[in-house]
Amino acid sequence: MLELNNLTIAYKDRPVVQGFQMELKQGEIASLVGESGSGKTTVIRAILGLLPGGGRVTEGEILFEGKSLLKNTDKEWNKLRGTDISMIFQDSGAMLNPIRKIGDGFTEYIRIHEKISRQDAWKKGVAMLERMRLSGAENIMESYPFQLSGGMRQRVGIAMAMTYEPKLLLADEPTSALDMTTQAQIIRQMMELRDTYGTSIIMVTHNLGVAAYMSDQIVVMKDGRIEDHGSREHILNESSCAYTKMLLDAVPSVGGERYV
Amino acid sequence: MSENYEVILETKHVTKRFPASGGRELTACSDVNLKFYKGKTLGLIGESGCGKTTFMRFLVRLDTPTEGEILFKGKDLTKLKGKELRQTRQYIQMVFQDPGGSFNPKMKIRDIICEPLLNFGRIKPSEKDAVARKYLEAVELPGDFAGRYPHNMSGGQRQRIAIARAIALEPELIVMDEATCALDVSVQKTIIELVCRLQKEKNIAIGFIAHDLGLIQSFAHQIAVMYLGHIVEVLPGADVDKAKHPYTRALLEAVFDTKMDFSKKIESIDSEIPSALDIPPGCPFQNRCSYCTERCTKEKPVLKTIGEDHEVACHLF
Repeated sequence: MLELNNLTIAYKDRPVVQGFQMELKQGEIASLVGESGSGKTTVIRAILGLLPGGGRVTEGEILFEGKSLLKNTDKEWNKLRGTDISMIFQDSGAMLNPIRKIGDGFTEYIRIHEKISRQDAWKKGVAMLERMRLSGAENIMESYPFQLSGGMRQRVGIAMAMTYEPKLLLADEPTSALDMTTQAQIIRQMMELRDTYGTSIIMVTHNLGVAAYMSDQIVVMKDGRIEDHGSREHILNESSCAYTKMLLDAVPSVGGERYV
Repeated sequence: MSENYEVILETKHVTKRFPASGGRELTACSDVNLKFYKGKTLGLIGESGCGKTTFMRFLVRLDTPTEGEILFKGKDLTKLKGKELRQTRQYIQMVFQDPGGSFNPKMKIRDIICEPLLNFGRIKPSEKDAVARKYLEAVELPGDFAGRYPHNMSGGQRQRIAIARAIALEPELIVMDEATCALDVSVQKTIIELVCRLQKEKNIAIGFIAHDLGLIQSFAHQIAVMYLGHIVEVLPGADVDKAKHPYTRALLEAVFDTKMDFSKKIESIDSEIPSALDIPPGCPFQNRCSYCTERCTKEKPVLKTIGEDHEVACHLF
């Protein structure tokens, strides 16, 4: 469904990601893992054409359902973003307008994508929140972002991203700002999205435990290059890559190595 | 553990209430009784907003509790004033979550490490460079870093500088507030190894705040689990899998590691942590607990000893 071929991404003239290659099938979950600054976020931003100032794809090809995304016009992007490809961010609170109610932002988002009255858009938003098992959906629509907890905001972000049942969901560190129990809830919810809607997910994370639990394939990145790539079983058990082993080794596990 | 080791700091019935709007009160810490042993690590774990940082801030006297005593070598820290307080501060040091934010950006590393030493007159200004090098080497950084500024360094290096500054006064207790959570796992591992090595060499007690149970159990001697200001379980770090309290069990279920069974269903508790402004009477965990009975809604459970160094506040035990 999605193909990234030999991708090179540069900010100004400095390449930050080189020779990136991966393929994703419908309903597959892939994780990009690596240390900060390894280019993980740059890759998924490139897929959605959201590279920040001066960033561009200098080489290679991004194919979504056989069609290149790199030559998209603004109009084509608008049709694609939020409907076929959606993104959730590390802190969904930051993407919501702080001085407007959740419901106002949500209805605006819906009305951008389809011709629908404000009331109907509001109802659709409520229904979507309920489908994401958020209790008190009406209440949430009437709240301001700062009135919700981090986990709740993240679920609102996921609900918004899933409104049009996108084929591909990009998630940039969706759980790293959350507590352990909330993280577990969000992960369970993302797995359910895949099972219910067949959504493919590319997730950027530095938490190898989460990546291992969720993913079908894992890409290990270092300094803008792919260091290791394979199925979860391959990465966890059979990989011969020293860097992968070092990363895996550093994950603390209950009943594992103790330093004292 | 209780008999064999020397207690260097003990908190007794520490409670903190903050005034809130509408004449209400927010209880951030409720009757916290913990002991810190010489050369041992106490890991304090809980969700954001449960009061763990508030509690640790009392130990360094950045704040004072509303009620209760904090006994450091027999002296009550909450009542110290003036010169005596200033002299006591050198025995208890702190490492913060974001090392970038805890340094003066215009000070060189040399000055950052030596500032506490100069404050207490332990060294002369002319000795600064040599001393800074010594502590840089103690935290496995090259001595040449003394001339750098904090912004020239990576997050992991900065955290090492923060540790160097904390150990410079040879304290007996170091409080670390989520000292590794802003770092990559690989860097986190090296920092934890460093902390454990320094602890063994200098016999320092450590109070470590974390929200990752997997991390804390890898190096803490005892773990205290906090929920809405209440300590709900205290257990030895090595026996974290023997945890009994439903909340600790839920935290254990929420640990993702690379050696787990991937077909396991996530059994995390569903609801959110309630606001600390309206903690229900009875057990604080009642509305998220699947074993909740009528008794739990009425009577607050107290910590009971159920095994060696293992205490639980739950009516089930």
